[in-house]
Amino acid sequence: MAYLARTLPKRVITPSLSQSIRQTRAIATTTPQSTPTRPAQTVPRTSKPRQLPHRTYHSALHARLPDHSYTNSQTAILTSALAHVPAHGFTATALTLGARDAGFLDVSVQLLPRAEFDLILFWLASRRGLLRGQVEEGGLFRRIAAEKGKDVHELSVEERVMGLILERLRMNAEVKGVWQDALAQMSLLANIPLSLTELHSLASDILTLSGDDAVDATWYTRRLAVSAIYASAEVVMTRDPTPDLVETEAFVERRFEDRKAIADKLTGIGQCAGFGWNTAIGLGRSWGLKI
Amino acid sequence: MSTMSTRSAWRALHYSAKRRAFQPSTPYRCFSCANRAQEQKTDNDRMTHFGFTNVPESEKESRVGAVFSSVAASYDRMNDLMSLGIHRLWKDHFVRSLNPGSCLPAMTADQRGWNILDIAGGTGDIAFRMLDHATNINHDMETRVTISDINANMLAEGRKRSLDTPYYNTSRLDFVEANAEHMPHIPDSSVDLYTVVFGIRNFTDKQAALNEAYRVLKPGGVFACMEFSKVDNPVLDGIYKRWNFSAIPLIGQVVAGDRDSYQYLVESIERFPTQEEFRGMIQKAGFMIPGQGFENLTGGIAAIHKGIKPIVKA
Repeated sequence: MAYLARTLPKRVITPSLSQSIRQTRAIATTTPQSTPTRPAQTVPRTSKPRQLPHRTYHSALHARLPDHSYTNSQTAILTSALAHVPAHGFTATALTLGARDAGFLDVSVQLLPRAEFDLILFWLASRRGLLRGQVEEGGLFRRIAAEKGKDVHELSVEERVMGLILERLRMNAEVKGVWQDALAQMSLLANIPLSLTELHSLASDILTLSGDDAVDATWYTRRLAVSAIYASAEVVMTRDPTPDLVETEAFVERRFEDRKAIADKLTGIGQCAGFGWNTAIGLGRSWGLKI
Repeated sequence: MSTMSTRSAWRALHYSAKRRAFQPSTPYRCFSCANRAQEQKTDNDRMTHFGFTNVPESEKESRVGAVFSSVAASYDRMNDLMSLGIHRLWKDHFVRSLNPGSCLPAMTADQRGWNILDIAGGTGDIAFRMLDHATNINHDMETRVTISDINANMLAEGRKRSLDTPYYNTSRLDFVEANAEHMPHIPDSSVDLYTVVFGIRNFTDKQAALNEAYRVLKPGGVFACMEFSKVDNPVLDGIYKRWNFSAIPLIGQVVAGDRDSYQYLVESIERFPTQEEFRGMIQKAGFMIPGQGFENLTGGIAAIHKGIKPIVKA
């Protein structure tokens, strides 16, 4: 339960809205006797830094969690090691070379208890951070809109999600040749929980960045759908010989159509069942059943 | 009535006894200066653990020495019996996780091969495994191990065993008799990997040994330690304690003919700090801790602790 709460969607809240939330919170924490027209007393409460190691809930007022939890030395080794990944794959060799480049000894790879898997996790987390950076600073959506000949505001959530998935897949282009090995590593029994957590974080980030703010049951199905599309597209990407990942793009588009078709079918089935049920009840009542 | 009087008499005696004990232990104590804090107790007064008994620090070294001199010959057989052979799995895992030796060609001459210091490794258990791993897995013929032990009998046992290995009388294997708390013959920043396996428990001053490890390691070098630790699971802990205090001294008596040494062994295991405490000691010496900092083996009966000496950017 705590896990679900921790990963609740980070909704896009405008500054004025968050300001009003802050005020309501401040008012709610004051004693009933005090009048709500005394902000001076309540403001310091909210301006206190909230440093909680384990949050059991999500709030738009919290700072964003870091993309990864590696220390400086670990990040130095991992960052240098990423440069060797296209040539050596996600292997201990790449890590050792990275450690040497960062000024460490061969033995210093002991800093990373999960070894190669740490390198894979770091790749995933850092690319996820890059994706977020591209949206927040790089104007990724403007580029996507320009390609489609639209204005940024005309882009639907669906189009944004697809654009982000494709952008994330393109980031993998340089490690395309070694990515199957990484997928194999991630599918090892001991590594599955962390791999799935990372996949979920990516899906959650993509949906949040796209402006998806659903908080009903579709919160789960949407993340599941994005995760499934991304994970399957990754496998397709490793076998895609085209330079600009054209085949992968076509694959992702087909999956989005499938998703839409499935959603339509499910809605149709639901409507049909509801109609049938209502008819049955109406028929029963017309026969004089007490229902 | 009589009970009342005896009780009051007892209370009076008790009270006066307490009062007498309240004599200040130091003759002079000034609250405005630190004279008392500066007073150093002499070495003879400082006590340390020897199993469950307290002994003066100066005596612990010789007592531990006596224990290991008496068990040196039957060391391996006893380890097999006491741990039901599991100690071999632990040691293999320890060496494999450290992956000694470079499989990549060195960039500079001084990087060639690792310089490993195996503390308290008298019988060469770990040293031979590490050399085998470097040679056979990483094809590294340069990595060398210095076995250091405070006990000459254990070193003699290791020398005898090294006759059967390909490293006998080569520059890759070296034996040194030294106290791990003070190793002036080893220069600063000269060691890649410092290992101490089932040894640090017997040290008189563990923190001093950790500080010395920090000194001799190169920046980026690794301190790795395997030691008996605390079991998390209460059920397993109950079985383990029963085995320790009932079976091991008995096995020691029957097989090695020395009950007291093995009684010391189990008591020293009991006295060793918990995983978290020992991790704190490693941190205190200045090491960086990777991840959680320790890895429990067989439910925490043994634990591998690691620390990395940070590099200082110029």
